[in-house]
Amino acid sequence: MRISLGAILAICLAGLQFIAIMTVVFSSYLTSEKALLNHAHDLLSDVGTNTIEHSKGFLEPAYVAADLATRLAENRIVASDNREMLEALLFQQLHIAPQFAGIFFGDQNGNFVYVMRTEESGTYRSKIIVRDGDARSTELIWRADDYAIVDQANDPNDNFDPRTRPWFKRASAGWDSIWTDPYIFFSSRQPGITVASPVVNGSGVIQGVIGVDIEISAISSFLAQLSIGQNGVAFILNRNGDVIAHPDAQLIKTMDEDGTLRFASIDELGDPIARSAFAGLAEGGTISVEEETSSKFQHDGKTYVSTLMPAISEDLPWTIAVYAPEDDFIGGIKENRLQNIWIATAITLAAAGIGLLLANRIHKPVRAFAVRAALVSQGEVSASDPLPKTYQELEATNEALVQEIARRRKSEREYGRTFELASRGMAQIMPETGEFIRVNAQFADMLGHSTEDMQKLTIHDVLHPDDANAFPVFAEMAHDDYEYSQDMRYIRSDGKVVWLRVNAIMVRDDQGNPIHAVATMDDVTQRRDTEEKIRDLNRDLSHYARVNVMGQMATGLAHELNQPLTAITQNVDAAISTINETESSDPALVEILSELDQQAHRAGDIIRALRSFVRKDDGAATVFNLDELIQQSLRLIQPEATSNKIDISCSIDDVPSVIAIRIHVAQVLVNLLNNAIEAIAEHAPDRRQITVYAKRAGDFAEISVRDSGPGISPDFDAFAQFETTKTGGMGLGLNISRSIVEDNGGQLWLKDTDDGGACFAFSLKLAQALDDPQEADKPDNSQLTTAHV
Amino acid sequence: MSEQDQIVFIVDDDEDIRSSLSRALTKRGYNVKSFESADVFLNAYDPDQSGCLVLDYGMPGMNGLQLQERLAQKDYLLPIIFITGHGGVPESVQAIKAGAIDFLEKPFRQSLLLEHIDAALKEDQKARASRARMNSVHARVDTLTKREWEIAHMMAQDSSNTSSKQIGLSLNISPRTVDHHRARILEKMQVASVAELVHLLITAGLVSK
Repeated sequence: MRISLGAILAICLAGLQFIAIMTVVFSSYLTSEKALLNHAHDLLSDVGTNTIEHSKGFLEPAYVAADLATRLAENRIVASDNREMLEALLFQQLHIAPQFAGIFFGDQNGNFVYVMRTEESGTYRSKIIVRDGDARSTELIWRADDYAIVDQANDPNDNFDPRTRPWFKRASAGWDSIWTDPYIFFSSRQPGITVASPVVNGSGVIQGVIGVDIEISAISSFLAQLSIGQNGVAFILNRNGDVIAHPDAQLIKTMDEDGTLRFASIDELGDPIARSAFAGLAEGGTISVEEETSSKFQHDGKTYVSTLMPAISEDLPWTIAVYAPEDDFIGGIKENRLQNIWIATAITLAAAGIGLLLANRIHKPVRAFAVRAALVSQGEVSASDPLPKTYQELEATNEALVQEIARRRKSEREYGRTFELASRGMAQIMPETGEFIRVNAQFADMLGHSTEDMQKLTIHDVLHPDDANAFPVFAEMAHDDYEYSQDMRYIRSDGKVVWLRVNAIMVRDDQGNPIHAVATMDDVTQRRDTEEKIRDLNRDLSHYARVNVMGQMATGLAHELNQPLTAITQNVDAAISTINETESSDPALVEILSELDQQAHRAGDIIRALRSFVRKDDGAATVFNLDELIQQSLRLIQPEATSNKIDISCSIDDVPSVIAIRIHVAQVLVNLLNNAIEAIAEHAPDRRQITVYAKRAGDFAEISVRDSGPGISPDFDAFAQFETTKTGGMGLGLNISRSIVEDNGGQLWLKDTDDGGACFAFSLKLAQALDDPQEADKPDNSQLTTAHV
Repeated sequence: MSEQDQIVFIVDDDEDIRSSLSRALTKRGYNVKSFESADVFLNAYDPDQSGCLVLDYGMPGMNGLQLQERLAQKDYLLPIIFITGHGGVPESVQAIKAGAIDFLEKPFRQSLLLEHIDAALKEDQKARASRARMNSVHARVDTLTKREWEIAHMMAQDSSNTSSKQIGLSLNISPRTVDHHRARILEKMQVASVAELVHLLITAGLVSK
């Protein structure tokens, strides 16, 4: 099915628009997305770097404090045994560094001084453990900002020994400052780390270890304040996988079953996004990040970007992890993209609508034109009717169409009239099936049908079965381009066979596909019959010519023989006269000579019979005596009969003269006699008898020749034999004999016999039956004829 | 002219026929002369010679019918008996119509031929006598004057009205003059009566009946 012009216009307009917009949208989206994602990575990287720097800066004072305390101790400025001074120094240090949670000193003897902030701000507590051998005392002093004692107490239950603590062991063993892993401070329950440095006296002996507790919850606060996109999060992982800083500080602490607090590891962190991003990082026991690593991950259907920073330093093996939802950076443009798609769709729909309207407007005159064209083709509107308002191009087209239609109508009218009024039969035929599409009355007439009936038939229905193979040839025309011309037999509705000469050509469309065959038919039955008759006549004629030549030869021969015969008779006569003159002549001599004379005359009679038999009558019918003709014929045939031991008898009634071409009748009669002789000679029956009958039958004389041969088989058509099979004689075929008799106004037929032999009979008109006065003049001739035969 | 003076002429191109036929007829007592062609015969024949002609129909050169025609043109009296080897009906009809005695097909019965020859000879004799008589009548008529022939003709024409008076009225002359002429006519025509004169003239074919 063809798409209408309107649809094409609408689809093209809208489609092109949509494609254009979408191309721009996606191109800009892809570019922006790439830029923004790069920007996100940079941002995360910066956050990591910031965090590192911040952490370093945050912890720097601890070094300074520890270093200072160490140097003070080493220089004996602060001695552990001077506990008041040590407490004051530690207090001072604590006071100036707000991030410090506490500062302490433990010596090899187990003495311990610890100054720390308390939960109430602005107050400090000092814990001083003094050991003297096994005796020990633990004194707790609460002080205000200005170092004034607020309270004082002893704790006899305290059993703290600094020498058992990890920081003491590691610092004293390593001879260097150490950072502990972050842990949850016992007293403040805040996350923090401790930096511890050994204090060595002048003789290189470790006196004790000084340490500073730093709460790192401030780092979490810092992280919470960081703005990473809208929802970005940065947190810090210790190398063992513990989360030591997180914007949500509550998440990093977890309580063990025994009630001690510890850091949550990344695998158990209450931040599911961070967990799905970084869980498993610490699977080998430690996190090892060699360099800054950026990646993307999915969580809960959303895409996130993340960055991992390598450890800050040997002392601070912390890894900064940052993640942020991708949408924080490209969400805007994603939204924008969706918006753009909606805008594009809206524009597309609008364009389609406009396209449809436009197409409709453009198409309307075209459609009106198309409708009109359809009506014209159906003949409901004349092509010459005024055209609706339309385009100039269409008007020109219409003009051309109107002319073409008029031309075709005219041509169809002429063709139709030619078809209907043609003097010959015409038909349009489907080449594949042989159906008649259209026939004219002449063709229908030829086959004895009405034109309506003919259109229900195919060529197979009317083709003679013997010519049925003609149709395939006809069908081949559909493939090959040649004209068809053939004489074929067809069967009329009344069962008669007619010969039609069919000339056909194939009508094809512009692509050369066959549409139908146009055939013209001429009834050539008469002509073919005539031709057949002429053929038969020619055959007869050649036979006649042969017989004629024989006749001429017989005539010439008769003359040549008659001369010596005449001489013989004359000489006999002279001899007799001579003998008569002689007195003593033998009477036997006269007898011999008389017989000689008779024999010569007999020879003459035979020749005469032969001559009159083949005598030229110039084809004119004469009146003659039938009896005489029969006798002459018998005389001619007698030698043949005698040699075959056949007896010929005659039964001739008193028949008046007949009128016919004499030689014709003689030829027929001799032919019948010859046939009879041959029939008997071939089959050698016991009785060898031929009887010739002649009688009057109304206005006709009937002559029949009957033999005692085997007769004619009922299924053998004796008349179908055109030529005689005899090698000798002047025999004519029975068929020729019959036509000769018929030419002379009689008939020749095979008569039924009761004794099995064949009996052929023919009839001839009696001369009396004629009233024609001209014929009546002829007896003169016949008298002469008979007189001298 | 006696029968002995009559001659049977034979014209046939066949030597055997000529010799056998002339021999047989000679034996029968006829005077026979034979010729091998029509031309030879025509050159040799004396029209005053009585007889008959046995003529072959089919000959090279002039054939029998043509010879018959030539003889008739020359006003020769000679009865003809045709003999033929292959004569047809039309030829025989023509020959008979032109005055032939008969048309015999070879070989013919000798008796028939002799019969015809005798008849022909007799007929020739008669014809020649008749012609001689006629010739003498014509000779006598020629001696009559114009007026005499006029009167003789009128008398022969209307035998019931032969009186001199009537003839004189018709010719606007006197009956006496008519009588005078009549006497002269009978004398010149060598007859005794008017009836005899009329018979003579009619027989000679000068006056129609």
